[in-house]
Amino acid sequence: MTVVTEPDRPIELNEAPTAPPERYQPSALAKLAKLGPWPGLVVIVLAALVAGVATGITAGFPAHWVTGIQNSFDSLANWITVHQTSAPFFAHFLTPLGSWLGDCVIWVSDFLNFLTWPGVIALFVASSLLVGNWRVAIFVVIAMAYFGLIGLWTVSMSTLALMSVSVMIAIVVGIPLGIAAAANRFVEQAIRPVLDLMQMLPAYAYLVPIVLLFSIGNPGGIVATVIYATPPVIRLTMLGIHSVPSETIEAGKSFGSSRMQLLRKVQLPLALRPIIVGINQVIMMALSVVVVASLIGTGGLGDPVLQALNIVDVGDAFTAGVAIVFMAMILDRIVSAAANRIGRPSRALSLEQQHRKRLQQGAILAGVVVAVIIGTILSGPGGFPPGWSISISGPVNSLLTWLQTHLYHYSSLPIIGGTSNLSAFTTLEILNPLTRIAGNLPWWIPVFGTAALGLVIGGWRRALLVAAGVMAIGYSGMWSDSAITLAQVIVALIMCVVVGIPLGIAAYWWDGVDRLLRPILDVLQTMPAFVYLIPVVLFFGVGNMAGVAASFVYALAPAVRLTNLGLRQVRRDMVEAGNAFGSTRMQLLWKVELPAARPSIILAINQTIMLVLAEVIVAGLVGGGGLGYDVVVGLERDEFGLGLAAGLAIVIMGVVFDRLTQGRFVRRLPA
Amino acid sequence: MENTSVQISCKNLWKIFGPKGSTLVGTPETELSPAELQEKTGCVVAIRDVSFDVRRGEVFVVMGLSGSGKSTLIRSLTRLVEVDSGEITLCGSDVVKADKNQLREIRRHKVSMVFQQFSLFPHRRVVDNVAYGLEIQGMKKKERYARVDELLRVVGLSGFAQSYPSELSGGMQQRVGLARALAVDPEVLLFDEAFSALDPLIRREMQDEVIRLQERLHKTVVFVSHDLDEALKLGDRIAIMRNGSFVQVGTPEEVVGSPKDEYVAAFTRDVSRAKVLTARWAMRARTSTMVAPPDSRIVSESALLQSVLPLVLESDAPVGVIDAGGTLVGILDRKDVLAAINYEPAESAISLNSTLVEGPQRTEGALQ
Repeated sequence: MTVVTEPDRPIELNEAPTAPPERYQPSALAKLAKLGPWPGLVVIVLAALVAGVATGITAGFPAHWVTGIQNSFDSLANWITVHQTSAPFFAHFLTPLGSWLGDCVIWVSDFLNFLTWPGVIALFVASSLLVGNWRVAIFVVIAMAYFGLIGLWTVSMSTLALMSVSVMIAIVVGIPLGIAAAANRFVEQAIRPVLDLMQMLPAYAYLVPIVLLFSIGNPGGIVATVIYATPPVIRLTMLGIHSVPSETIEAGKSFGSSRMQLLRKVQLPLALRPIIVGINQVIMMALSVVVVASLIGTGGLGDPVLQALNIVDVGDAFTAGVAIVFMAMILDRIVSAAANRIGRPSRALSLEQQHRKRLQQGAILAGVVVAVIIGTILSGPGGFPPGWSISISGPVNSLLTWLQTHLYHYSSLPIIGGTSNLSAFTTLEILNPLTRIAGNLPWWIPVFGTAALGLVIGGWRRALLVAAGVMAIGYSGMWSDSAITLAQVIVALIMCVVVGIPLGIAAYWWDGVDRLLRPILDVLQTMPAFVYLIPVVLFFGVGNMAGVAASFVYALAPAVRLTNLGLRQVRRDMVEAGNAFGSTRMQLLWKVELPAARPSIILAINQTIMLVLAEVIVAGLVGGGGLGYDVVVGLERDEFGLGLAAGLAIVIMGVVFDRLTQGRFVRRLPA
Repeated sequence: MENTSVQISCKNLWKIFGPKGSTLVGTPETELSPAELQEKTGCVVAIRDVSFDVRRGEVFVVMGLSGSGKSTLIRSLTRLVEVDSGEITLCGSDVVKADKNQLREIRRHKVSMVFQQFSLFPHRRVVDNVAYGLEIQGMKKKERYARVDELLRVVGLSGFAQSYPSELSGGMQQRVGLARALAVDPEVLLFDEAFSALDPLIRREMQDEVIRLQERLHKTVVFVSHDLDEALKLGDRIAIMRNGSFVQVGTPEEVVGSPKDEYVAAFTRDVSRAKVLTARWAMRARTSTMVAPPDSRIVSESALLQSVLPLVLESDAPVGVIDAGGTLVGILDRKDVLAAINYEPAESAISLNSTLVEGPQRTEGALQ
């Protein structure tokens, strides 16, 4: 479609200069709008002064304003516990749903049992060979052998079962929703904010309500996983369908395709690759929740990690953590291979080649059947032969002890002394003062401060939203705990930005750096949030610094990636023009490349802050304190009121952070 | 023009893009210049009161620069773009009033389109690209593959059935696009800048291909182009479009020989007129006093001036022009030919004066 954007005057023939068209007088409101956010800021400062004078300089949020929301949550929790069997919503919906989900997990577990361990390995190897290559297959064999040899075969299989059920549900729900949203603007508008919220929230925030509704066990774990992991497949289905070129759609329409024909024959096949990428993300996100869900009693690989962390047995946590990473990598490699296969331009095969390919596929599948039969004969249905397992905790522990004596304890390193010193220094000299400042600021400074920030970034509605959010945190009684979390988020974010953006620039400048970083970032991004806690405890002990360090490592990848990507996407002709004027590399960076890549870099900061928040919360498990710790306490001691209030505060904090890091800055892109 | 042979008929089509564009049709706002309209309403008139008929078997070229509305016009014929007002009759069906199913039937059986960027389906092999229209109609696989085989032979792509579009060159891809359009055996073929994306040599090859096919198939063709040479080469009639309206509609000879206004004149001024205009165009019609020239100095009325030139320039005496039946219809001398070749509209603009300077030089070149 040729939408004319510029008046079309190709050949100026003898045309008298026309008078400039009459301009409309801007209204008073429009004139005000031209002044930018200044009048608004003045209003906010005045309001803050009024509020300050009215309530005086109190430290933190006035205690008498705190509502009894935790108590209300407690009584709600009690009500639910009492009525769990009688209320119709529970009796006819949640309970049957829960038991069906539980059954699904059992079916999948039974099936994996039936396959026996050689069968399961053969099945994964076969999938790797069918969609990928032998390198993927060899990795799969090594990784799965590790599960068996360290004695974690059974828990690995239950993680796999949980994963399979969650991912299946996410796909079955997500793809049709994505199609519906792509086809219908209203559906899209209805879904989008929900997706935003679902993706923004750390899964941790809704563990408490889920335990209340489903009690502990697999069903709740699956629900949490599905909530957390479904958005990417919806989004990428939508994106995939939207990104089919309009010319291709038009060609399809011009031949009289019906809507279904267009969807089935043109849109879905062309959207397949993004959809598979979406499924890959679903799997990765599902894995990260499935292991955290051990907190609410789902079992699986998260269990040994949790138990080991509880008694600070880093060796055991480490071996199980590696198993989780292997699980993530196996699934990621296979699904990525499938996605790449689709992305590759296909080549026409001769009949003979097709025949040979089919034979190969048949042989691979036959191999699986043989493996199942051998497995059944050898060991009967079930797990890895216990006799084969080796314990690597011993050597791992001695390695870790060595690491601790040489890195952790003070005076083991030059200058800083040891990571324990670093930890103590950061906690005492940075985090604690920051927490005190954040917690003790008179309430109206943070409230109106965020409002001002919101106004500049996104206008009045944004300002009201974020200010209301900060107030709500105060009302819920989570003011001081939020301050602890906030301090950790700020420190980790600054570390990520200071390290990540220069790394991203380095990776843009030197391909060697890019090549070096790429596999490291890949691994960092496939590891579930949970796993980062293990090495962190080793080096920094339990406490606040552990949260900061884990968040830094966890959130570094997107900061580097998006900076690099944003710079690489700057149009070559712009860079060329910059060079043509003789810019130095730094001038080019500051005057052309960074400004052009700004949307991407701001997106990087947005993603980094969201990941930092998620990890700081998870670090509550290793004594990170703050809101995450409240959730753990809520779960472990049945203090639902506290857990729910903390979850709510996490949600609000997430929304506020997100709203403050996207908006005008991000959208406005010089054409 | 016999009414029965009219295959496509458009009456008073309007299309205005922009917020509430359709409500502007018939209001005085549409009289504003494009810049003023854009300033005032944010709207752009893509099709402005366009009416035309295309006869069966005719090649009708819509010619204009980018943004003139020609792509919108060709899309509106099958309602890939909905018009705001007007009537479209296509092979006897009222396109504008057609409901969803009728429209689908028209698109499936009556019309096919060849696209500028080829718009092939990248996930389908050539064979399934060409078969797409047939598949959509519900034709059995075996039947449609048989038909595709034949079509690939017609466009010279036998042996590429199993390839994917990305494995083919641009010209070959557009051959697939052409075969795909022909597969459903439509009555009307629409070409949207179909060859603009191709290299000049390949483009010429494809134009010849279309001419060759048209000699055999006699489809009704609407061809959108921004390339005047292409328009002159393919078109039985040419419509020059600017800012959404037809400035002039006529045969290549009419458009080049007597441009209706400065715009068309400027448009066509680089055309080698001797290659477009015929003897009939330049001759003085026969009068009773006219003396018939000798047989050695007779040309056919359909001869291009370029081929007549050597004979005319041989001497001051005129040459005779005869029609297909051999009857003398007029005479032609040096002055007539040069006047036809050097035609300028009466009220020349400054920028056209430069043409006057260049004009004779070019003619001299042609003489040598």
